[in-house]
Amino acid sequence: MSRSRVLYHMVRADFLERVRRYSFLLTLGFSVYLGYTVYAEQVHVQLDKYRGVDNSAWLGSVVGLTGSVWLSLIGFYIVKNAIQRDRETRVGQILATTPIGKAFYTLAKTLSNFAVLAAMVLVLALATLGIQLARGAGTQIDPVALFLPLLIFGLCAVAVTAALAVLFESLPVLRGGVGNVLYFFLWTALIAIGAASLDKVGPDPGWHVFTDWTGLVSVMSQMQAQVRRIDPLYNGSAAFNIGPFNPATKTFLWTGFHWSPEIFLSRAALLGFAVLLALLAALFFDRFDPARRGWLKTNKQKPVRRGETAELLLAPLLATPSAQSLHHFQMASHSIAHLPPVSHPGSRQVSRMRISALVLAELRLMLKGHAWWWKAVAAALWIACVASPLTQARSDAIVFAWLWPVLLWSPMGTRETQWNTGALIFSAPRAVPRQFLAIYVAGVLVAVLTGSGLGLHLLMARDFDGLAAWVAGACFIPAMALALGAVSGTRKFFEALYTAWWYIGPLHHIRGLDFMGTTAQSSTPAGYLAAAAVLLLAAYSWRKVKLAHS
Amino acid sequence: MKLEIEDVSKQYRGGVLALRRFSLELRPGVLGLLGPNGAGKTTLMTILATITKATQGRVLWNGIDIARQPDPLRSVLGYLPQDFGVYPNLNAVEFLEYLAAVKGLDGATAARRIDGLLELVNLGDARKRPLGGYSGGMKQRVGIAQALLNDPQLLIVDEPTAGLDPEERVRFRNLLSDLSGERIVILSTHIVSDVEATATDIAIIAKGDLVAHATPEALLLQVEGKVWEWVVPSADLNAAKQQYLISSTTRRSDGVHVRILGERAPAGAEPVTPNLEDAYLYCLSKHRLDHHAGAAQ
Repeated sequence: MSRSRVLYHMVRADFLERVRRYSFLLTLGFSVYLGYTVYAEQVHVQLDKYRGVDNSAWLGSVVGLTGSVWLSLIGFYIVKNAIQRDRETRVGQILATTPIGKAFYTLAKTLSNFAVLAAMVLVLALATLGIQLARGAGTQIDPVALFLPLLIFGLCAVAVTAALAVLFESLPVLRGGVGNVLYFFLWTALIAIGAASLDKVGPDPGWHVFTDWTGLVSVMSQMQAQVRRIDPLYNGSAAFNIGPFNPATKTFLWTGFHWSPEIFLSRAALLGFAVLLALLAALFFDRFDPARRGWLKTNKQKPVRRGETAELLLAPLLATPSAQSLHHFQMASHSIAHLPPVSHPGSRQVSRMRISALVLAELRLMLKGHAWWWKAVAAALWIACVASPLTQARSDAIVFAWLWPVLLWSPMGTRETQWNTGALIFSAPRAVPRQFLAIYVAGVLVAVLTGSGLGLHLLMARDFDGLAAWVAGACFIPAMALALGAVSGTRKFFEALYTAWWYIGPLHHIRGLDFMGTTAQSSTPAGYLAAAAVLLLAAYSWRKVKLAHS
Repeated sequence: MKLEIEDVSKQYRGGVLALRRFSLELRPGVLGLLGPNGAGKTTLMTILATITKATQGRVLWNGIDIARQPDPLRSVLGYLPQDFGVYPNLNAVEFLEYLAAVKGLDGATAARRIDGLLELVNLGDARKRPLGGYSGGMKQRVGIAQALLNDPQLLIVDEPTAGLDPEERVRFRNLLSDLSGERIVILSTHIVSDVEATATDIAIIAKGDLVAHATPEALLLQVEGKVWEWVVPSADLNAAKQQYLISSTTRRSDGVHVRILGERAPAGAEPVTPNLEDAYLYCLSKHRLDHHAGAAQ
């Protein structure tokens, strides 16, 4: 079989496995939602007070930017499980025994990631057509102006996302939650670098198109040039926002993006970069070798002591039936009959007793497996909360002190699914309410412990409003983790949403979105306490229903 | 102590019927639940372990419906699923301490039982190693230990010897024998020799139906006089397979020694003492014939 045929079948099988899951419908639904945000004017492309007149060129450019910017972020979290799936299903072990090379495998995974994201881009492209018709934006549909920005910028942007997802999965340190959180900051940095260069470039962005991942600089620099032509007083500002924004008061006629050879060359370079990333991933990919997993490296085998050598040499003899009975006789001191008896409490008694032990067990489970340096950084952030002046502690130190434990909170609602321990846990008496309560309390304790520096500070200053905000934050974060994990079945959802929300709300002190209450102005503790209660109720109900229908 | 399974059926989404009007009454002892792959054993185990609910019928533990009130059973239940996971960053002691807390055991009793159970399953030396570094067999032994944590009155073990080496399998069989007494043990497996060594009762299940429920002696009695050994030349083996129900074949210098199950012996065959594997195959084949006859009508 030719290599291209092998590649085709690897991509096809992986693609089909993904698209036949119900969750794929949700991802397509997200594409439709992106289209809706453009239709409902929740996405704003503005040049000072100007926006384009609704036509194929304007809508095509806005949807193109929306698709390439947001799908390059969200798409990462959607496809970053291609290698993990092969690991979990153990298909990887079969593939590892075939002649397929590591580079071939990572390239195939990149292509199947790309196929999934491309499907999302295509759905969004269809939605674009619907938007123009629904908005009554002229009867003339120019398919090139309407679809090309999304197809060129969107597909090239998600190609890099697809490769980055494989690279992150291949690197042990970025495979889990650390990678999920770091990707958000990488994406933010790359978008910010592009946006910053907008002020410097003229109508011809020159070499900047090669660093313009999403097409934001390329498109908006041409829009800026067009507005400058009609309004010499235009201040040069350009904004691409999602959410509430001051509406534009003036319109200009956007005639469409001018496709220069440099643009096509830069997109081809982007595709080449994606291939390079996929090949780079092959360098780190472990080819499903269990010996290369992190925990095995640290778990050194105990050397055999002199006395044990004889036992090992005798092992084959002990396997003979007569020797087994002798061996069993020697093991009689470990008979089940010698174990201490257990008094079986009634189920109601079980619910009352040992909840504290269960909370401690859950807390230990959360903290276990984190390296000393993780704890050292948490301690340093705690000290920063105590040592900083109260205003800085509340507005800055706590923001980072409560970002640091994100990987402790993220598995709260998914641990039993992730490690397949559900059958062991949920066959225990009153396990659902007891374990749910214990895991939530443990999550709150993590927030209290890591944020107690500020808590003490507020208490000593008798700042009870600040303390209320602190309590609301400590209650809300684990409730959100539990609810998102329980509903989505994956920790990625919380890791991505929490990091993005943290960036928009608490870091920038935006009222309504600041769940940590980092300033008196942005704090809304009652709302977040109520939200915590709603999330807990939703998570508990979801878990009950899910178990009842399992 | 009584577990009653009354007319239980389980239909999965997509219409797959895993159990069909299954009824059984269990009292203290070891029940060996035998059946081929896909017979419905694991479905029955998960219903009995209160993980899933029957779509029809009910299961009573000492007269209490476990679907309506699962906790009285759960507080005395030990369950080893066929497929389960562990938390890789915890060691065996920490993992068992966690499950002891989930099961509501007090700290002192839990600590003593964990020590004893880890010795019992031969993991005393590995008790402080992270579970992520355990072999499949060692994880299985952790699973056995957790099932015994609360000294269960009902112990359900689903394919417990999967992944165990021969020595550990013998050890587990001995452990099951020690366990029998004032408790109900349900051992689900497709390995007849595991059941032969420990079961006081045997239930055979196929395609969701209860095919037989009897003591091992009664099952053996069913095939008494129906098992034969026949020596055939190698060249005739395929023809013999077409004609008779064969439970085993052994090649020797005088030809292939074929163990045949049937009402009548072929010419030259000698009667032999039946074993449990013969009885199991006989029941399955009889059920298959009845099933085909029913379908034809």
